[in-house]
Amino acid sequence: MPSQPPLPPLIAPYVSSQPESSLTLITSILGATSNWLVLRFLHPALSTSINPNVSLGLDEQQNDAKKKVVLVSFLRGWEFWRAEAKRLGLDLARLADKKQFAFVDGLSELFSAPQIANAASPSPSNSAIPPRTSLPLRGPPGPVPGRGPAPAPATALPTSVNGNATRNQTDLGISKKLRFTGRGTAALDALEKDIVAVIDQLKGSNDSSEEVLLIIDQPDFLLAATGPRSGIGATEMSEWITGLQQAAHATVMTIAADSPLIHNAPAAGNQGATPVEGEHAAFAIGSAHRARSVMQLRTLETGAARDVSGVLRISRGGGLSAGVDTLDERELLYYIQRDGGVKVFGRGES
Amino acid sequence: MSFRKRNIGLSAGVDRTAVPNTSAQPTPPESIPGIRPSPDDGRPTTSTGTPSLDGLLAGHAGLPMGKILLVEENGTTDFAGALLRYYAAEGVVQEQKIHVVGAPEQWGRSLPGLIGTAESLEEKRSDRRKDERMKIAWRYERLGEFGAGIAGSRDAPTPTGDSDAAGKQQNAFCHAFDLTKRLAHPSITNMSFIPLLPSRDSPFISIIKQLQSAIASSAPNTIHRIVIPGLLNPTIYPPSTCEPAQVLQFLHSLKALVNSHASRITTMITLPLSLFPRSSGLIRWAELISDGVIELCPFPHSADALATSGAATSQEEPPQGMLKTHKLPVLHERGGGSDQNVGQDWAFNLSRRRFEIKPFSLPPAEGDKEAQEAPASSGMPKKADLEF
Repeated sequence: MPSQPPLPPLIAPYVSSQPESSLTLITSILGATSNWLVLRFLHPALSTSINPNVSLGLDEQQNDAKKKVVLVSFLRGWEFWRAEAKRLGLDLARLADKKQFAFVDGLSELFSAPQIANAASPSPSNSAIPPRTSLPLRGPPGPVPGRGPAPAPATALPTSVNGNATRNQTDLGISKKLRFTGRGTAALDALEKDIVAVIDQLKGSNDSSEEVLLIIDQPDFLLAATGPRSGIGATEMSEWITGLQQAAHATVMTIAADSPLIHNAPAAGNQGATPVEGEHAAFAIGSAHRARSVMQLRTLETGAARDVSGVLRISRGGGLSAGVDTLDERELLYYIQRDGGVKVFGRGES
Repeated sequence: MSFRKRNIGLSAGVDRTAVPNTSAQPTPPESIPGIRPSPDDGRPTTSTGTPSLDGLLAGHAGLPMGKILLVEENGTTDFAGALLRYYAAEGVVQEQKIHVVGAPEQWGRSLPGLIGTAESLEEKRSDRRKDERMKIAWRYERLGEFGAGIAGSRDAPTPTGDSDAAGKQQNAFCHAFDLTKRLAHPSITNMSFIPLLPSRDSPFISIIKQLQSAIASSAPNTIHRIVIPGLLNPTIYPPSTCEPAQVLQFLHSLKALVNSHASRITTMITLPLSLFPRSSGLIRWAELISDGVIELCPFPHSADALATSGAATSQEEPPQGMLKTHKLPVLHERGGGSDQNVGQDWAFNLSRRRFEIKPFSLPPAEGDKEAQEAPASSGMPKKADLEF
């Protein structure tokens, strides 16, 4: 089968340009996660080489005017994003070095402080785990024990600081680790300050005309894991997002839209609904009303299929200024191949 | 397409995915026991102690390192507990470090006894069945044996062949256990039990702290398994832990911990669904945080009649319940439900020596036997006439 272009042509117009101060909402469910789509937002903004497969005239100027991206992820770590982006030909660690990309880690230390790292412990791959140790591209390993994942600069480091080197290596590219302390809006404000600082850092390195795209991956988890008891509800979250939006050119946000989270809201008269569901539904629906476009991912209603992973529905959000801005609404099918490539096609096509 | 796929084989990942993949190189036999590269993309995996569950995990033929598997169970049975015991016992046999959260040491003493490698049990079984087996083309012979799709046909390279039985025993990826026996293994004392201490704020905080320090202070090549039986079960966990703020923060911290030592830790959690239904937002968040979600739906006792007839032949044990895969590690993280195992109906069966997962198929309608036999005797050619 032919290899897929990193960016499927059908979704290219939707992911490659976002108007200023717009919010794009991606909703996902348990069986249809949004990570692949987030990566497709990263690709047109960051990729340097103009792929002949991709450039259909639509996104050429986007490829020239390079954008900067800040990715805030609450449920997935740096390693995951780095490895998956590599499949698309993006070296996030290098881009982070070039101040084009910044990763804000909302997973590692959000709720639990790390142990004081001693040199031996945090090296995840010092041991002889086969797929990582022997790197085929680097000649015979010789006496130096294989060390860590791919980024090359560490090869120059002496073996004596191996443990530390690995530590730095895995942390390389993480601009900031978020830590949730306190309660209520004060805690959110602290997080906001951290993220805005990262955005400003990225902006400040060059002329400020460059666009910074902010991608927030599953901020709704923050809402679920704190909740009204810690003084954080849907309203506070929405204000928080708005605050972040002001710092960036455009914002992309992914949230969960599983039916227990949306349809169990207490307002619907459901028994046993808890604040988690109520606040989540309020936050999700409120965000959809503010968003310019909503990209909804779900599985097929008719059950799993061998060549379809799920359905992508792109619709206008409540925040689309009518008359000025237009957006074609579409419903597409997508299929994630085993190698990470994505096929996007209309119903009935293949 | 299928022709192409088959040919790509194990080394395909190198050029397309840029994931360091060593399947082209011989795996050093002195590598960590119990870890082998996934046949799908070469990432390290470890066994869950249940061969058919390994086979279900999206073609990786094992649980990828750094992943959390959530096993949910409906009703009052404890099939999930059996899975968890196999998982812990496998870790003990592989001399990995087991951390049991919230269960007394009694739990560790009730691990099932080792009776050999999973392969040896499989061989014994197929020997027994060999006599009655129909003659079919050799290339189909292995299909359906595993009920595992990819894993059955594309088993990862284990050191078989000329290695002797003792070596096999040493390097086996998955072992077989007997639930009626008790595990006696030198490294069983290596298990640590983390009790829930009553505290003013979340008891989970101290659990995470203990796990962090235990893992940070261990040798860098130790492999860990975190075992959490009956999360939120009210006999173990105080009511306050059911608050989303507590349990979700715990799961998030656990994910962070597992993620930061991604090549050294796996985790399995069981959860009683009767108390915490899947339709609640809390459980849905727990599922979203986990890397793999499997739901066990045991048949009610009155369904025994159906269950008996559910076995395709009298040789097989009747299924004891249905198994649903809601989320598989790695596959769903990438975004796709395109695995051939997704969407299948699975049935499971727990016997003394194995927890077996196989495709569920409804038996032919019970009362219809005469109708089936009648045309065979009259109109249709006899079966013997068709054979050659």
